[in-house]
Amino acid sequence: MISFLAFSISRAWQSFWRNAAMSIAATATMTLMLLLLSGFWIVQAGLLAGLQFVEQKVQVVADLHDGASDSAISSLQMQIAAMPEVLSVDYVSKEQALARFQASRQAQGQEDLSGYLQVNPLPASLEVHLRKADDFDVVTTALRADPVVDRVKNIADLANRVATITDFLRTAGVGLLAIIGAIVLFIVINTIRLAVVGRSEEIEIMRLVGASDAFIRWPFVFEGAMVGLFGAAVTLAVLAGASQPLGQFMFDFFRILPFSVGSISRDVSVLVIGAGMGLGVLGAWISVRTYLIR
Amino acid sequence: MTLDTLPDRRSRAPRRAAAPTELDRTSNALGPRPVLVLNNVTKTYPNGRNALKEVDLVVPEGDFVFLVGPSGAGKSTLMKLLIRDEVATEGTVYLDGDDLAKLPRRRVPKVRRKVGIVFQDFKLLPTKTVRENIAFALEVTGTSRHLIRPAVERVMALVGLTGQAAQYPHQLSGGEMQRTAIARALVHDPRIVIADEPTGNLDPLISWEIIQLLLRINELGVTVLMATHDADVVTALRKRVVALEDGHVMRDELGGGYHRRG
Repeated sequence: MISFLAFSISRAWQSFWRNAAMSIAATATMTLMLLLLSGFWIVQAGLLAGLQFVEQKVQVVADLHDGASDSAISSLQMQIAAMPEVLSVDYVSKEQALARFQASRQAQGQEDLSGYLQVNPLPASLEVHLRKADDFDVVTTALRADPVVDRVKNIADLANRVATITDFLRTAGVGLLAIIGAIVLFIVINTIRLAVVGRSEEIEIMRLVGASDAFIRWPFVFEGAMVGLFGAAVTLAVLAGASQPLGQFMFDFFRILPFSVGSISRDVSVLVIGAGMGLGVLGAWISVRTYLIR
Repeated sequence: MTLDTLPDRRSRAPRRAAAPTELDRTSNALGPRPVLVLNNVTKTYPNGRNALKEVDLVVPEGDFVFLVGPSGAGKSTLMKLLIRDEVATEGTVYLDGDDLAKLPRRRVPKVRRKVGIVFQDFKLLPTKTVRENIAFALEVTGTSRHLIRPAVERVMALVGLTGQAAQYPHQLSGGEMQRTAIARALVHDPRIVIADEPTGNLDPLISWEIIQLLLRINELGVTVLMATHDADVVTALRKRVVALEDGHVMRDELGGGYHRRG
């Protein structure tokens, strides 16, 4: 078994270099396709992060009764914060609400009307940030059920619009990625197929001298894996080279986004290496199979 | 079938083995065990072409057989049946006692190792040297390394290629290429060597060299089946001649010429 593995791998290595032109063509195709795939993956990841950011901007605001006790408010706050749909809950006191109102009037260059009032008419409120805009309904219902809450602003319209747009963009992104994945699969498999067809005489000779299927298949499969690995290595090198300027650009552009370069680069490395090896092996397996089923 | 072929066929009767159904893997009362038996073999391709029709053929161990006939007579199909590249539509093909049609897929490679094949176009790998081309046949069948080298040296000496061991096919003459192919066919110690027009691409002098080599191999006990168009060779050697025409065995005679007598 070990000698068989050694045979297959050494033969894969040997024929990779002895058919250098074809191997390099296959590796180049593999690299381009992996760059395409990972490029779209990165764009998709950026898009998703952006959508997530937009969704988190959607908040449910519950106005509280003026007479509500501090303990009742804080227990409600904890209860809401514990819900899985909720990202965070902020308490805005009457004074803070008034200060915000005054600040916004000032920012708009308008007169501070609050000076005409004896009492602060603005209610204290809880501002609930959601993980997903879709979930506003559950949170709204929970807030309404509490006696501390006076009223909950109806954000159904806004929430639904945001949900529709983000859902559409998510689906479109995944769909596009799937289409590109299928194209990449097709092209890579065909390229490897060409490389195998170019060696059909070798396969023919192997069959005629009585090589078993495993001895014919595995060297090609390992060679396919090599094409995938080399392609992945080149792709990652290119991406690593581009990541510094690209990351700076992304940072400048999406300053506000909760965009973690670390997790994306890890995902992309796994994707590129996995897709490269997988496609190489699959392509070789399918291509050799045509010669073995006879 | 014409009348004049009948006596020829009958004259071969004593050398024929018993019917394949009575074949014994170990012995045969009528002489050496046949390496190859075709019993009433018909091959029809999916496109409806009848390449072989009711062919009977027995090749005993150690025989040297010329397979002659015009292009399209069925020689290539017959060869493909012997290496189980194709399976007979009707009838049975036995190689060294194995019914090729009933052979499970995973045993096919093992049976192919009993057959050494030589082609008109040599089928050498251009990126490998003479030694590597010969060793290739053993490497891809899982022979362990320490057995490969002596076996390769032995067949290279046998065909007279020891001096060219490190050369690539494009550095060789046609005759040397064919000798490399013959060495590769022999390196497995096959029961039978099948040569499909081995001299087709060679000039007459070199052709004779190759024929001499095949005869020498035959003298060493290896059965040889050679398809050829080379009338001079067939007529001069007076070996057994099987003539195919339009899928039928038209003639099967010992010491025959290329052309039909009479």
